[in-house]
Amino acid sequence: MDPKLDLLYRLADDQLILGHRNSEWNGLGPILEEDIAFSSMAQDKLGHSLQLYMLLHELGEAEPDTVAFTRNTPQFHCCQLTELPIGEYDFSLIRHFLFDHAELLRFEALADSSYEPLALVARKVKGELKYHVLHANTWVKRLGTATEEAITRMQAALEFTLPYALGIFETTEAEPEIISSGLFIGEMELQRRWEESISKVLAQTALTLPDLRLLTPVSGGRYGQHTEHLQPLLDEMAEVFRLDPTADW
Amino acid sequence: MLFSFDPRISRLELPEAPSLPTDKVALDQFPTYEVFHQRKENAAYAYVGPVHAPEADVAFLFGKEQFSRRFPCTGMWVVLTSNIRVTEYGDDQQSVYDRLPLLPADELGTADAADLEAYDIFHLKKRGKAHAHVGQVQAASPEAALQAAKAAFGDQRPVVNVWVVRSADLLRSDEADRDMWTTTPDKKYREAIAYKVQDRIDRFKQEG
Amino acid sequence: MYGSASTHDIPTQATTGLENEDPILLAEFEARIARGEKIEPTDWMPQLYRKQLTRMIEQHAHSEIIGSLPEGTWITRAPGFRRKMAQMAKVQDEVGHAQLLYSAAETLGKTREQMLSDLVNGKSKYSNVFNYPTPTWADSNVISWLIDAGAIVNQMANAKGSYGPYCRALDRICAEEAFHLKYGHDAVVHMATGTPIQRKMMQEALNRWWPAIMTFFGPSDKMSTHTEILMRWKVKMATNDACRQQFLDMYVPKIWEIGLTLPDANLRKNEDGVWEFSEPDWEDFKRVINGDGPCNAERIAVRRAAEENGAWVRRAMQQPKAQYVRPLA
Repeated sequence: MDPKLDLLYRLADDQLILGHRNSEWNGLGPILEEDIAFSSMAQDKLGHSLQLYMLLHELGEAEPDTVAFTRNTPQFHCCQLTELPIGEYDFSLIRHFLFDHAELLRFEALADSSYEPLALVARKVKGELKYHVLHANTWVKRLGTATEEAITRMQAALEFTLPYALGIFETTEAEPEIISSGLFIGEMELQRRWEESISKVLAQTALTLPDLRLLTPVSGGRYGQHTEHLQPLLDEMAEVFRLDPTADW
Repeated sequence: MLFSFDPRISRLELPEAPSLPTDKVALDQFPTYEVFHQRKENAAYAYVGPVHAPEADVAFLFGKEQFSRRFPCTGMWVVLTSNIRVTEYGDDQQSVYDRLPLLPADELGTADAADLEAYDIFHLKKRGKAHAHVGQVQAASPEAALQAAKAAFGDQRPVVNVWVVRSADLLRSDEADRDMWTTTPDKKYREAIAYKVQDRIDRFKQEG
Repeated sequence: MYGSASTHDIPTQATTGLENEDPILLAEFEARIARGEKIEPTDWMPQLYRKQLTRMIEQHAHSEIIGSLPEGTWITRAPGFRRKMAQMAKVQDEVGHAQLLYSAAETLGKTREQMLSDLVNGKSKYSNVFNYPTPTWADSNVISWLIDAGAIVNQMANAKGSYGPYCRALDRICAEEAFHLKYGHDAVVHMATGTPIQRKMMQEALNRWWPAIMTFFGPSDKMSTHTEILMRWKVKMATNDACRQQFLDMYVPKIWEIGLTLPDANLRKNEDGVWEFSEPDWEDFKRVINGDGPCNAERIAVRRAAEENGAWVRRAMQQPKAQYVRPLA
């Protein structure tokens, strides 16, 4: 695949699927104010994915709605982390923490991309991602230093989620060209920055970061291999849209 | 299991008849923080409302999305409600400063500059409207700050109510974080103006 | 989103308790309202004023949080980016409105803990329309447009009421609801002027919702002493009938112009400009509001589950030294 398309599909699909997942908390959050904040971030993710699908459209791909609402599992390039069900709030927070640290660093790097339209989007959404990370850090620091119950839950969620989070950095055949053409710094460098960044925050808590070298990343997502959760998610998302794909809703 | 048209709810697998919950304990919803926002560059910070939060940093996270997601904003302050000193309310058209008893100097604390602290002063101009920031004074206590506020801002009118906040108690958004708000105006999908449907109605009527 | 479910809670008999109030303070209070000034939380106020306002604002808040559920039903299935993001933002706004309104009610002395407990224990009411389901996407659109439209009629009136914190909350809510109304109208128009499948879906949803919409403002007011006092104190700002007439006048033509029909053969505007309609089934309304509607159990069960599932988070975030004081305004 063209390196631009390859990169854009991965980014856009991640944001669409995680934004969709996080929207499931709307109206069901642990406290009203947090419900509102979490929904804003889910909307931001949807907004980011839309901007990226629009770049894809400019490059000759189908309309954003068609791309988002009519593809099936094998055509999706999101990492498996994003498609997992929302679970309990500990998992949703840890996923948010691990994902958004990578996302902020990714978009900071993309602000210097040789592909100017993408650099433009990256520069624009950086401020939003800054809030996402601030939100994640605050919660992880608070809950990670709170009651034994909370620390135990957060630690368990962290250990469960980390192998999936390492799947964020799965590379494709296009990786060498993505790096050499200055599109992006590459997943390996991103992962290095990410480890540094999450370690700093976790060090301020009672949570322990396992040795990441000993974990087996859950990969495959970038090649269209997904968990059993993605297709039901896509079917649900497109339930109305597919009633009549020619209709203007 | 409870049937629902909402797939999210079905996934919760709720029992048909859940047991009766016990009443919430005190502070289950945390104490409250009062939130002030700045609508645009150089505008006075104005009161927008309270949030429930365990600590100031969380109150800031909450305040930002509850009070500045839908309208332009360039900065935000939060303060624990119990850290605000409130005067009585006067009538519209009057000034509560007129009713403020002058405290003898020895009750105002020392005039020693080392004991002075900054206090932020907020005025309510009309009942039903929102308090707005008018400035800072230096004082040794909230009472003294109120006296100093009268000297500094007492000629403004009307002043229905005054809030006094020790400046150190206000958590303020960072100048460097201003970019957290830059894309708010771009989120047109949640603005009325993005929905223009008259053409479609007219076309329908013509075809009908 | 709120109708006037509270209004038939106005006691129609018994005493107003005014004979126990200090006549001088009462006169000052009434004079302030008469000259158009707002009442603020620390002002003296009659017990009846505090009680009715607390009940009204609390029910309004409950209606927002419960009202987020029927539209939330379609949050994961909204068709296309534009609808998906707007549906999320709208449901979020309803939760936001609940937060604003609970805060306003708190200034009168009832804690949010108590209000949320009363909601999940079934001790408080909320707008009855949310006890009906949204089996299709079109049902959600009908709520977005017409229930919000009804709520705006009600809220615009209440925003001119006498209690400062409620007015402040309503000013913000009305500003946000402008988007809801336009979004809802946009979605309904797209369906009604769209493909045969869309059209049919929308007409069926409208037929399902119309009887509930007609009950949204509550039964005709009984003009009791209490009603008169509450209107004088600017707690109740318009009669249920006046709100219903205003709603019909503004929205029935908009429904008809896009080729939709309403399931009431008697609905028409007479020569005096007054809308005539079949009297809603108030017995059924009473049955549903008292718990026997299609979704009462689900709505409460969901709120209970949300509170319960979030309990560990709130417990963990408690600060031992925290003290509660009422929000200021």
